[in-house]
Amino acid sequence: MIVSSTAAVVALALGLVSGCTSSGGSGGSSASSGDANAQFTFWSFTGIGAKASVAEYLVKNPHAHVKLSEVGSTTETATALTAALAGGVVPDLVMIQGDDLPKFVENPSNFVDLRTLGGNDLASKYLGWAAGAATGTNGSIIGVPTDVGGLGLAYRADLFKAAGLPTDPAEVAKMWSTWDGFIAMGKKYTAATGKPFVDNVETSVFFSTVNQVTEKYYSPDGKLVYDTNPQVKNAFDVAVKTYEAGISANIAAWSSGWDPGKAKGTFAVTVAPSWLLSGIKSAAPATAGKWRVTTLPGVGGNWGGSVIAIPARAAHPKAAWEYIKTMTSAAAQTEHFKRTGTLPAAKDSLKSDAVLSYTDKFFGDSPIGKVLSDSVLRFNSFYNGPDTSAIGAGLLNALASMQTGDVAPADAWQTGLKNVKDALG
Amino acid sequence: MSATTTPVPTHRDRKQPGKQPTRVRSSFVERVAPYAYVAPFFIIFGIFGLFPLVFTFFVALFDWNPIGAHTFVGLANFERLLHDSRFWNALGNTFGIFVISTIPQLLLALGLAQLLNNARLRWATFFRMSMLLPFITSVAATALIFGQIFDRNFGLINWILGLLNLDPINFLASRLGSWVEISAMVTWRWFGYNTLLYLAGLQAIPRQMYEAASVDGASGWQQFTRLTIPSLRPVIIFTVIMSTIGGLQIFTEPLLVSPESGLTCGAGRQCQTLALFLYEQGFGQFSFGYGSAIGVALFVIVVVAALINFFLITRTQGAR
Repeated sequence: MIVSSTAAVVALALGLVSGCTSSGGSGGSSASSGDANAQFTFWSFTGIGAKASVAEYLVKNPHAHVKLSEVGSTTETATALTAALAGGVVPDLVMIQGDDLPKFVENPSNFVDLRTLGGNDLASKYLGWAAGAATGTNGSIIGVPTDVGGLGLAYRADLFKAAGLPTDPAEVAKMWSTWDGFIAMGKKYTAATGKPFVDNVETSVFFSTVNQVTEKYYSPDGKLVYDTNPQVKNAFDVAVKTYEAGISANIAAWSSGWDPGKAKGTFAVTVAPSWLLSGIKSAAPATAGKWRVTTLPGVGGNWGGSVIAIPARAAHPKAAWEYIKTMTSAAAQTEHFKRTGTLPAAKDSLKSDAVLSYTDKFFGDSPIGKVLSDSVLRFNSFYNGPDTSAIGAGLLNALASMQTGDVAPADAWQTGLKNVKDALG
Repeated sequence: MSATTTPVPTHRDRKQPGKQPTRVRSSFVERVAPYAYVAPFFIIFGIFGLFPLVFTFFVALFDWNPIGAHTFVGLANFERLLHDSRFWNALGNTFGIFVISTIPQLLLALGLAQLLNNARLRWATFFRMSMLLPFITSVAATALIFGQIFDRNFGLINWILGLLNLDPINFLASRLGSWVEISAMVTWRWFGYNTLLYLAGLQAIPRQMYEAASVDGASGWQQFTRLTIPSLRPVIIFTVIMSTIGGLQIFTEPLLVSPESGLTCGAGRQCQTLALFLYEQGFGQFSFGYGSAIGVALFVIVVVAALINFFLITRTQGAR
């Protein structure tokens, strides 16, 4: 049977219709964009307790309507946000993790300047460096810090005891109050047990040392100084020395050997920001009670943290701002900490009893709350330019190459500089 | 004697006997119909294939931040690319992985096809179907599992090496090791597909040719090289060109095999292919302009490689 030619014309029409992309209209809420209770869309990444936050908000503000999407990992959320900002439908509220933040802060016009909604002293409630990370060069505040990571070191008290090292968190902190003391302790441990002391040098050592400087990759007036700044080179050298002392297990964070290493005691010390503590629990449930958390060598530290922001083209900025106002107050952040363990970014919250007195049986009687709170309160503020993460990645990769044996320790710094030059073009 | 064309009676003529079959005058609809049939594909291809391709060439001339400024820079991106050691590194990785994953794989496929072509093979259908299973497995799952198998600390291969009292191999740390790991994944995925293509080609060769060759005194090897391979030439050309195009664009396996090294596939970019480098620059660093320039370079390289392949293979035909 011969298909009639008109059928072909129908097929053509269908093809045209299906080929056309329909322009997505923004949510058909009848409420005006100024309504504080309009339904607004909220994009968050997983693992930050967003569902719990929204539930807490709805208790405080029963008339609100929130449409939450947990888009995926932090990177996936950032990629989705980029695509939305570049020309799609933007959410009204979005969580941005600290690592992805610099690229967005570079182009602050993509977000609502929150000073227009919350006043000029909005940032004073939060840690200076956390608020500064969300401030553009034109002074525009694009996001409010919701949480920070803090930084401590977690160690196996039982393995320390077997090696003749102290086990009490305060004593351990005293013994490794400097990085040289840390390396000496590591050598003692490895000599006594024959096993590596720390899991790796790039995230457990360099990442901490390079953030304890007063001036990092940029001078305060924005010039690139990563290659001439002696503080950066010193931080790098500490990591190289740790590797050369033979006390590193050379297991990269999130590599396949990392979680089993925690469970089997392949290494005794690992890095401990607040959000990794639950990771230790799930990776090594059989070691409950054997870990302790204490302050790192040097002064202060932070890894991670996020901000909450309102894209410029959001349809319901007022409703989104209601959420931010309610949920990022010091009291709300303390309450959220009690529920999910997410370390707050508000200064008053960090000094509250709830945070300072926090302990966990899994980690013995370690003063986790105090350790983490101290680490962020004493963290230095330094100028972070647009290429900070690219420079950091270049140096980190050089250290990772050193640990796999591809690069000799003596050449690691030059390799790092070359990586950075390639990245910066 | 002039040839006269007599109209062949059609079914229309039987309905109206005696009437001369008329030359059908095409109506407008009938003239347009063929184009209408192929139009849906071309329209969708135009929107999702051709336009992005041309737009990529356009964006490559800019310093294009997806959420920021777009500045025209002319050929600066390409200049930077030529001097970028990471580009040449990715190019080397791409060709290395391509060679290791394609040549053994196609030879293996040819051998297996020869085995499967044996008329006395039992459970032939089972073998043919199970060969396609790797092809339909999700690439992400494959990358995760192979990552586990090749793992330095707890992987299956290093465990076996441990049983034999050999030193463990850190595949991802060395350049060649990471190439082998990625190539293993690609070979595992595609060998079944290529085997079945060669098998189809083999089954099209008439059995009488082999019988005639045996009668003429040709040995098994001579039959293979003088009879089988030339008859399979079209299929071989197809598989080589498709493998080249695919092999130069390997992306998912390097991306997923080592999640902790992010988008560089190893701290020293040991297994970063061109496509992954493109993704890292475009979506990791938000430099759409530079990423597009890499895309243009990749396009040119693939076209050149495919053309070289084509001429190499068709030139050997001239010897006949």
